[in-house]
Amino acid sequence: MDLHAVTQAAAEMPHVTGYMYPNEAELHWSILIVIYPYLTGLVAGAFILASLERVFNVRVLQPVYRLSLLTALSFLLIAPLPLLAHLGKPERSYEMFLTPHSESAMAMFGFVYAWYLMVVLLLEIWFDYRRNFIEWSKTKKAALTRLMYKVLSLGTTDVSEKALKFDDKVGRIITIIGIPSAFLLHGYVGFIFGSVKANPWWSSVLMPIVFLFSAIVSGIAMVLLIYMVTSMFRVKEISMPCLNRLAELLFYALIVDFSLELLDFIQRLYESEESIHILSDMISSRLFISLIVTQIMLGTLLPIFSIAMARFGRFPDEMKRVTYLFAALLVQLGIFSTRWNVVIGGQLFSKSLRGLTTYKLDVFGLEGILVSGVLLITPFIILAVLSRILPPWMESGHRAST
Amino acid sequence: MTIKASSVPQQVIPLAIIFAAGITGLLVIRHFLVPDTFGEHGHYRADAVDEIAALPVSYAGYQACVDCHDDIFTAKQSSFHKGLSCETCHGPAGQHVEDQDKFKPAKPHGREFCILCHGYNVSRPSGFPQILPNMHNPGKACVGCHDPHKPTTPRPPGDCSACHAGIANQKAVSHHTDLQCNTCHEVPKDHITQPRLSRAEKPTSRDICGKCHGKDATGGIEEAPRIDMASHGGRYMCWDCHYPHDPEATK
Repeated sequence: MDLHAVTQAAAEMPHVTGYMYPNEAELHWSILIVIYPYLTGLVAGAFILASLERVFNVRVLQPVYRLSLLTALSFLLIAPLPLLAHLGKPERSYEMFLTPHSESAMAMFGFVYAWYLMVVLLLEIWFDYRRNFIEWSKTKKAALTRLMYKVLSLGTTDVSEKALKFDDKVGRIITIIGIPSAFLLHGYVGFIFGSVKANPWWSSVLMPIVFLFSAIVSGIAMVLLIYMVTSMFRVKEISMPCLNRLAELLFYALIVDFSLELLDFIQRLYESEESIHILSDMISSRLFISLIVTQIMLGTLLPIFSIAMARFGRFPDEMKRVTYLFAALLVQLGIFSTRWNVVIGGQLFSKSLRGLTTYKLDVFGLEGILVSGVLLITPFIILAVLSRILPPWMESGHRAST
Repeated sequence: MTIKASSVPQQVIPLAIIFAAGITGLLVIRHFLVPDTFGEHGHYRADAVDEIAALPVSYAGYQACVDCHDDIFTAKQSSFHKGLSCETCHGPAGQHVEDQDKFKPAKPHGREFCILCHGYNVSRPSGFPQILPNMHNPGKACVGCHDPHKPTTPRPPGDCSACHAGIANQKAVSHHTDLQCNTCHEVPKDHITQPRLSRAEKPTSRDICGKCHGKDATGGIEEAPRIDMASHGGRYMCWDCHYPHDPEATK
């Protein structure tokens, strides 16, 4: 075989440059696995934001407390769907609850998920809304609605001061348990990637921590976005102190997140392990747009600077709002790119460290862009329905307003 | 100690019932749905092993083929395909052994089957016979020229790169690009027709590198890096540190 023939052979796989092992040319984890950590990140971030108000008494965040909880719930309900769609055979997924495999981090996900959904989120929401359920089960006009709230109140009727105090106390305890649980939920996702020791792009003890902080960033930005957009549609005035505090928190979280990622990057550069050359090649070619442009420049640096200017500069409120909205949108783009760069980036280079492949996103099919779009939009639909049943708005009777 | 009913907050009761029902439900479902033999040997159903063992055997094993087709087997055993079992190409022959007339094993005639092993793939070892299906006599059946029971090339390969493409490619872009393979390797004449029976020799002494890279060497080009063979590298062979097909050192 002459050189010409070898070049011909390479031309048969135009998406590969350099040398790939045969089983690496096509990616195994698709965009669905990008969506999964993105969704769980939003859950953990939104919950941690809610816990700031509840446990750390950041009163100014009250307008978004319930909204954060419902946001977390809406995204949590959809979070396992990309996994089920990717793995196939969803009808067998319950088996991991029946025969728990304690030595497999992936197999234990069901329990992490169930704990977070049942013991943390649903309980906290129930205790927070219980008084309202009882009230609405008596005051709502339609009989069916009254019955629905009666069912949701689980038959409880006690709204004495002592009972409400108990609700509040339990809610606070659940939140305290919830914070490490939220850390567990998203730290777990980072742990899965970080523990793949054969993959130099993933294998890092910083991975769970970086995942966690990017989760907090995305959660705060998402709640800020939803708060602004819903207030606009409801023609209600946005609480500027709350919005300013959200922007501040987003700013600090962005700085911590960016510093951690930078630390990880500098550490890798300084260690300069044998993988550094192929990783540098990957960053400067395949991941240039999604890492340098959308993740770092558009998704991190631009929001940091724009929030800093709007929050700490002398901007009129209207300008501040526009800037925050713009920054929060960019942050979503940035965090989605972060997930993309971790999941897809980790599969683009050969374990021989000698070549790069390309990921081609399908449009149709289970792992295509259409299904992904549906999975990303559904949480907002769920949130819209939930906010009808459980109005999260401050004026609808928050515990603190009594 | 007794707990007064009134001391338990009202809202705890329905929650306790729901959680108790959920956990009990899971345990009950577990009791009925988890197979009895699950976990006996590991994290799987032990009965599955017996069930799989009880499945009908499709393959007969090469010994059964040899009983009747010993002439083909003898030819195959002296060829490059000696490591392949008959059923690798002909498929499961259990039924054929049971009834020779009723069931005939498959004969792969097309090109697709041979390409599974002999199509070009960079991860295959250097020297393994590989072809580019689009360029190697396209449309013709492999068995037209090659006897699968005694596969040999109809004509000997022209140069070393025909089989050692990986090395040839590497050398082509290295400082050693102008060196012929036989500058360093002793290649017997028969190696081209019988590569495994008549092996090409790899250098065993540092002197071969010294011819060009020694301090006072007369061979090689002027730009070749020169070293003192007596002191450089001690007891190590040159190729313990430098890869001769793509040497990194420059003058």
